[in-house]
Amino acid sequence: MKFFFGKLEIYLTALIAITLFNTFLAEQFASPALVNCLIALTVTYKGFTVIDHFMELKQANKNLRFLMRLYFITFPSLIIISAFY
Amino acid sequence: MKNQHLTSSLNIFPKSWSEENAGRVPGNIPIWVGILSELTEFGIFFVAYFIAKFYYPNEFISGQQSLNTSLGVTNTVILLFSSYFMAKAMCFIRVNNKAKCERYLWLALSCGCLYLLIKTWEFYWNDLQGFTSNTSEFFTVYYYMTFNHFLHVGWASCAILWVIYRLRNGAYCAKENSGLEALAVYWHMIDLMWILIFPLLYVLR
Repeated sequence: MKFFFGKLEIYLTALIAITLFNTFLAEQFASPALVNCLIALTVTYKGFTVIDHFMELKQANKNLRFLMRLYFITFPSLIIISAFY
Repeated sequence: MKNQHLTSSLNIFPKSWSEENAGRVPGNIPIWVGILSELTEFGIFFVAYFIAKFYYPNEFISGQQSLNTSLGVTNTVILLFSSYFMAKAMCFIRVNNKAKCERYLWLALSCGCLYLLIKTWEFYWNDLQGFTSNTSEFFTVYYYMTFNHFLHVGWASCAILWVIYRLRNGAYCAKENSGLEALAVYWHMIDLMWILIFPLLYVLR
């Protein structure tokens, strides 16, 4: 199978790198509030990437895309709120 | 043709939601009803997680530190790869390359099976450490979320097998692949849920 490094491969590499970076942050740094906020932002980015480029909703139904993206704004926001209680 | 289209979407949505105005629905409408129902179900789990964490913060901190993070990271990477393979399978069916489409579907299925194996090992490892769903509030939420997700990966893996069977029988081609696309968006939804579950249970402190 001939390997071609296109957009999908770039997004996959970014998603894996973010996952590993998040885990490293959580294991190494002692400021949970800051780390949790950073992780929440990266979760939103990961969600948006899968929704737009793997699920291909960027070129599809705008209402479905809105609902899916809203999900990845709502729950990461709760992560940020939970960092302060 | 227009009337036929309205009938196929049951005519239950406002006009602004029609495919002409809002854009194409990937897969089909029934799979999206399923996906939005699943998102609601997982959404309830996530709300339960935040409520439980608010009332039992110490149990959540100690519970998260007791889990095997390496297994969680491995499963996250595996699911990301499976989503990538599924997206590649869609790319190849659109150019009518059924052989490569099938190859990528097998790769996605392998990732699903590997995920299930690792998750089973993780449940066994937890059991050896003495962690059960009654150990603490954290573990109740942990087992509820992860076992539910485990079931979703399990039946979606069976669906991949079914789609491979249909692909071999010529059910999908470049022009008609809505069944395959429906499976693809469902599989991506499962990956998306893990993208949220993983930090909640393994990473956040």
